[in-house]
Amino acid sequence: MEYIRRLFAQNRDIVADICKHDPEFFAKRANKQEPHFLFIGCADSRVPIETLTGVAPGEMFVHRNIANQVRSVDLNLLSVLQYAVEVLDVEHVIVCGHYGCGGVKAAMGDQSYGLVDHWLAGIRDTCARHEMELARLGDDKRRFERMVDLNVLRQVHNLTRTPIVQSAWKRGRRPMLHGIVYDIHDGLLKELVMQVDGNDRARELLTTQRDSVGG
Amino acid sequence: MRLPTMAGSVREDAPAALVVFLVALPLCLGIALASGAPLFSGVISGIVGGIVIGILSGSQLMVSGPAAGLTAIVVSAIGTLGSYPAFLMAVVLSGGVQIVLGALRAGVISYYFPSSVIRGMLAAIGLILILKQLPHAVGWDHDFEGDESFVQPDGDTTFTAIDHALHAIEPGALLIAAVSLALLTVWDKTVLKRLKLLPGPLVAVLAGVGINAALQQSGSNWTLLAEHLVQLPVASSAGEFFSFLSLPDFSASLRADTWRVAVTLGVVASLETLLSLEATDRMDTHKRVSPPNRELFAQGVGNALSGLIGGLPMTGVIVRSAANIDAGGKTKLAAILHGVLLLVAVVTIPALLNSIPLASLAAVLLYTGFKLAHPRIFRAMWGQGWKQSLPFAATIVAILLTDLLVGITLGLAMAFAFILLDEVRFECFTVTSPPGAVLKRVQLQEQVSFLNKASLAKLLASLEPGDRLEINGSSCRVIHRDVLEQMADFQRQALERGIDLRLVGIDLPTPPLGH
Repeated sequence: MEYIRRLFAQNRDIVADICKHDPEFFAKRANKQEPHFLFIGCADSRVPIETLTGVAPGEMFVHRNIANQVRSVDLNLLSVLQYAVEVLDVEHVIVCGHYGCGGVKAAMGDQSYGLVDHWLAGIRDTCARHEMELARLGDDKRRFERMVDLNVLRQVHNLTRTPIVQSAWKRGRRPMLHGIVYDIHDGLLKELVMQVDGNDRARELLTTQRDSVGG
Repeated sequence: MRLPTMAGSVREDAPAALVVFLVALPLCLGIALASGAPLFSGVISGIVGGIVIGILSGSQLMVSGPAAGLTAIVVSAIGTLGSYPAFLMAVVLSGGVQIVLGALRAGVISYYFPSSVIRGMLAAIGLILILKQLPHAVGWDHDFEGDESFVQPDGDTTFTAIDHALHAIEPGALLIAAVSLALLTVWDKTVLKRLKLLPGPLVAVLAGVGINAALQQSGSNWTLLAEHLVQLPVASSAGEFFSFLSLPDFSASLRADTWRVAVTLGVVASLETLLSLEATDRMDTHKRVSPPNRELFAQGVGNALSGLIGGLPMTGVIVRSAANIDAGGKTKLAAILHGVLLLVAVVTIPALLNSIPLASLAAVLLYTGFKLAHPRIFRAMWGQGWKQSLPFAATIVAILLTDLLVGITLGLAMAFAFILLDEVRFECFTVTSPPGAVLKRVQLQEQVSFLNKASLAKLLASLEPGDRLEINGSSCRVIHRDVLEQMADFQRQALERGIDLRLVGIDLPTPPLGH
């Protein structure tokens, strides 16, 4: 119980601190949100994206699941994407992976974890598709990190195939899609692919996945 | 419901033709009188209107003949041109004008007569019939038969004439009108209606003739004298009739005046014809649609011919058409036969025709008038909302207080103002984003016209700094250039005002230099 209590206590402190600088801070945001970003990231507790990037409440629309998956049958993700793109008119959609991702690691091995195995089936496919490339990499750590990168690029590509993004692009070159990765060792964000804003760039994405070896 | 054929409808058309003929005869004479033209010129016009236009027209029910709406033009034209033969030349040429109008497909304007105005015109004509025939029904026969104007040639107005009439009631006329009306009602409301060969109006007229003959036999002072009966010049009827088949003064065609009259007549007659055509189609229980351009051609031939042999100009006429429909007319055979009857009867049995009391005919027209201006019509129009009922009412009031053409013009102006207003306020786009969306997305409709500028301007004016709007024109077939320029102008302004305006599928024009 004391952990839960701590959440409330810290919450009060933080709100008091914010209101000291701007008493209207919450009132101003109560009736509308106009975020610039949709963030699709991993559920991992070590990727608190708002804290890491310093965005204020109201600036970022967030969706997180295990191993930052974009699957065309995931009603949850598609709802978030549709609302963000068509209603909130976000300018940027970011897929963010992170090194040391438990989901990716599980998908690379043979160990079974139960239901989550189904969720990770897509990563296993990616793994198989890049088997040769991964085998050429010398050690396990580099193989693991490369798989995290490949997973992000795959999910960005999946995004480009959704009808939501396709119909948005028909109307103009937004939203822009970005693939980034967060290194939990040094806390820094790294660009994988930036500003995918049309089908021409989406095609390059596949080439990038095939050719670029280990960042 | 199968469409009636001429061969299959003789049993209905022949009696209807007789009724239309009886109604038309005093109208032809009355309009000629009011036009300041020789009496038989009206009958000639009626004959040509019945036979020639009847054959050429595409309408099954409309009757054509001399029209009250033209009398004012005719009176002044005869004065301007100096002689009746010169005027006849103008009539011939006006026929040519109508044929040209038909060839130019000018008849399409009849598709744009708003329903409310046509219905208003019909109701107004019904009221006019009632108001104008009331004096005739009580034996006050001072105004000419068929007058449709508020201010009458005898100096009275529609209402003062009724006042005068009620102070000088002829008991014989009142009796005949009352009996005729009763017979009409009985015939219309009972099984007698099925006597196709003996329609109500015919019974009413026959009863009128019978009653007056009986009064005369008994030596009653209620007997109606010649002034209250149909007044066809008898003595020289046949001779006078054929002697009047006169040629126009062809030399008049070299004068500009003649052409001016011809064009005026041609245009006004065409307009009145098209209105009558539309109104007649509306009364048709079979809902047949008459081709307007063919009608202009038929009317042109009719007028040219009528002018060539000494007749008045003509148009399609509503009262006779309504009487035709009321009497059970089904095909154009009725209109043609009424022309034949005019030709034959006027020459052969003028004395018999002159025994018809005007009060009987007044009863027939009162009954027709009541049907045209039935309270049910007013209730129905009222139920359609003010955009329909206001032009309807305005048309009626204006026609009653002026005349047909002025009234119609006013009604049309009001109806078109409402139509334009609707068009201007019509939103030319659909909002496709949900309410409260950060990006408001609108889809322009297939066709964005000049009239849509207002609704678009309203949309653009509602934007505030920071707003985002996407206008999607990808499913537009046509966007008016002015609307494109409006958007281009706004796009520049939007940039300065911090409005995020996105145009999708819209090619903006490059602005002309210097503006």
